[in-house]
Amino acid sequence: MTVRAPSVPRLELPIQRFELSCGALLLVSPRPQASIAAASVHVRGGPALDPVGREGTAFLAGSLVDQGTAAHDEEQLAALLEPEGGEVGGDATGVSGSIVNERWELLLETLAEMTVAPAYPADKVELQRQRLLDRLLVERDDPRVQGGLLFRHLVYGEHWLGRAAYGTRESVARIGARELRAHHKQNWVARRGVIAVCGQVDPQAVRRKAERLFARWPAGTALQTSPPQFPERAVRSGVFHSKRAQVHVYLGHLGVPRQHPDYPALVVMDHVLGTGPGFTNRIARILRDELGLAYSVNASIHSSAGVLPGMFTAYIGTSPDKVRTALQGFRREIARIQEEPVGAEELDVAKSYLVGSFPLGFERAARRASYMISSEVHHFPADYLERLLASFAAVTREDVQRVAREQLFPDRCVLAAAGPLSQGEVSRLARPSELGTAPVARTPAPRRARSRR
Amino acid sequence: MSRTRKAPSASSFEKGGARIHEHVLANGLRVLLAERHLDLVVAVMLWYRAGARNETEKEAGVSHFLEHMMFKGSARYAKGAIDRITTTLGGTNNAFTTADHTAYWFEFASDRWESALEVEADRMRALLLDPAEFEAEKQVVLEELAQGEDDPWRVLSQEVQAALFPRHPYRRPVIGYADTLKALRVSEMRDYYERFYHPGNAVLVVSGDFEPARALATVQRLLGSIPAGKPYAEADAFRAPAEAQRGEQRLTLRWDDAGSRLCIAWPTVALGTDEDCILDLVSTLLAGGRLARLYRRLVIEERCATSISVHNDTRVESGCFWLFAECAQGTRPAELERQVDAELARFFAQPVSKAELTRAKRIIAAGEAHDAESVSDLAEDLGEFAIDADWRLALRTLERIQRTSAEEVRAAAARLLAPGRRVVGWCLPKEEPARARKGRAR
Repeated sequence: MTVRAPSVPRLELPIQRFELSCGALLLVSPRPQASIAAASVHVRGGPALDPVGREGTAFLAGSLVDQGTAAHDEEQLAALLEPEGGEVGGDATGVSGSIVNERWELLLETLAEMTVAPAYPADKVELQRQRLLDRLLVERDDPRVQGGLLFRHLVYGEHWLGRAAYGTRESVARIGARELRAHHKQNWVARRGVIAVCGQVDPQAVRRKAERLFARWPAGTALQTSPPQFPERAVRSGVFHSKRAQVHVYLGHLGVPRQHPDYPALVVMDHVLGTGPGFTNRIARILRDELGLAYSVNASIHSSAGVLPGMFTAYIGTSPDKVRTALQGFRREIARIQEEPVGAEELDVAKSYLVGSFPLGFERAARRASYMISSEVHHFPADYLERLLASFAAVTREDVQRVAREQLFPDRCVLAAAGPLSQGEVSRLARPSELGTAPVARTPAPRRARSRR
Repeated sequence: MSRTRKAPSASSFEKGGARIHEHVLANGLRVLLAERHLDLVVAVMLWYRAGARNETEKEAGVSHFLEHMMFKGSARYAKGAIDRITTTLGGTNNAFTTADHTAYWFEFASDRWESALEVEADRMRALLLDPAEFEAEKQVVLEELAQGEDDPWRVLSQEVQAALFPRHPYRRPVIGYADTLKALRVSEMRDYYERFYHPGNAVLVVSGDFEPARALATVQRLLGSIPAGKPYAEADAFRAPAEAQRGEQRLTLRWDDAGSRLCIAWPTVALGTDEDCILDLVSTLLAGGRLARLYRRLVIEERCATSISVHNDTRVESGCFWLFAECAQGTRPAELERQVDAELARFFAQPVSKAELTRAKRIIAAGEAHDAESVSDLAEDLGEFAIDADWRLALRTLERIQRTSAEEVRAAAARLLAPGRRVVGWCLPKEEPARARKGRAR
């Protein structure tokens, strides 16, 4: 059965942009009839600004802004927000939240307090720091977490992207209220700030309110960055040994930044290769549906792309006896998308999905606020959404093959595995020459599946 | 307070800004149309009254496995076609299975949502269940099961649930067991499919930006001609009662990490009863937000837990009230449990203050707005009540919450969450920590 892609659905995301006198940027997207309002304060910098030896400082500084401010303690903040459906959370790059639409001003007031004047009370810092230390201790033995961290480290090396944003038990143990206040004072400054508000609001009213609430936010200095340095792409491997039923397998390498000109073609490639919904992508179709190797399996280069390069990651959670077959499958499908132009139908399916599904993600106010922040951080033009959809629609089979050849490096992949495998086994599996191709047939799919088509 | 399930005669069918219309087709299919034009999006959910509860011991896991097979080929849609059509139309789909029901979900832009109905109509009456696909998908389900076996919280809660329902099918995990899945045959799955997958045992919910008269005509055209099937009651097998506990039960598991995890569960009441609403208030008062009692005492004041959550999990025939907590490092498990017991005892002894109750009611009311933000949220809320009880109960939650008194909350909690009715499960490190930071032996 064939289905023709219908016209592209409309998505209206009007954004009004204001420069506040404190130096921060305010973005407002009015959404008539919205029942929920959302707001975010993004502060450029994040874990990149962690002092050496105190990794996790940025994460704790952001996640503890809700533990009390100059005007309200933690209990008072909760008492203000929770009965109004207010949910607020911070991280290394800022603080955001949502609330029933009628109380959007309360949300903005509390976010401004948390941004401009968090108190970092010593007892609350100690409590939350201890909770994080406890979590890190438990995660120390979690193969999925440790496998993911190992993979990041193999890809990014000593760069801050190669570690967890929340630090280690050793580094977190060195962070106290004094360090958090110092980090906040130096880095949470208006000239690095982007504020986004979405809801049933009047943009001018939001501007007036924000101007007043953020008036005392120190301007500070703009963020200075230096070019990142990452290890060369090469075969490397690591194992986190754990006696569990499954092995978590991560295969991949350094990827591309979000601003890469081939980003739209790489998104389309990903959807054909390893992220298209259900079984429309090759890796899920073959490794899960036809070979029954796993419940969770995927591959993507675009999803982690940010201001800095992301990672190409092929992931599978599978039984130990199926790891070799899974890796053969990953490598075979990477090679295939590099060697052969993708089929016209699977290209159309991927493009139609990307173009047609875009409005579905924007039902929630929080998603709209997060898009506004992203568009500013990545310097997207005002008509970016339209351009992006047009870019997806323009991707050709040749484009997909070209970007697969240029951006996928199956012979220079790192391999991280977490589960009941030894380092020796993983080292051997990391070498493409030792994997072989049997027992998985090369393209196309195994006979059983072919006979049904 | 009555424990019967009363469906009010709603005068205004409105929820989350959506106007709700109900229809029942001649073949028994119940149709709920929730019209809302905020976004150009429509969610379609088809619910079947077929979950782990409906399985025999030998069939354990068939509901969930069948959910997988619903994407593996029907008369008009070969394997992969549903995903391909959904994707080509820029939509998304998924499905899930619980103890009481299985639900299939699509979300599309509003000019093409009717394709979901064509898919559902075909696979409701003409699922292929190809033997080769059945065996291949069985491996996927077994891998999914293995994935769950690596999750200590899941393993612990399954053990507690098994103890909580000694004979009732609610004792079994929805995914089933490796041995029942391996032994399951296509013919048995087909028999199950024919017993439960028919219009009289289903509810269709369409939510979002559509025109109701046209939507109903399309539903009628595509699903109205499907034979009604045997009435549900005839297909439903005998089930042992969900009996109350005879004294507290305890169990302990060991895990190879440093976490000490506590799971306590009590058998409660059916979905949609008055006491279900009261238990929503109880859960909010105990662990809904940072001012909630258990969070305040365990995490902030005594610092004996790193996390605490409770969950009112009511089902068609009974329910579970769950409490999950993780010990702070250095706290002895007995100390955490003592603190939980002390706070619960205080809750049972004295009604909460008016301010505390008001705060909890406002949190639940605000949560209703969050729970209807997307058309899929709305479809899920309506559909779950519709398939398991009565959809109109979804519209009356706030009214029922508002009329509940502090004494009713106290009395229900004291009765339903009594220590003698519960199962206490611990998942502890394989080796006890050498040193304890604080805490007293129980």
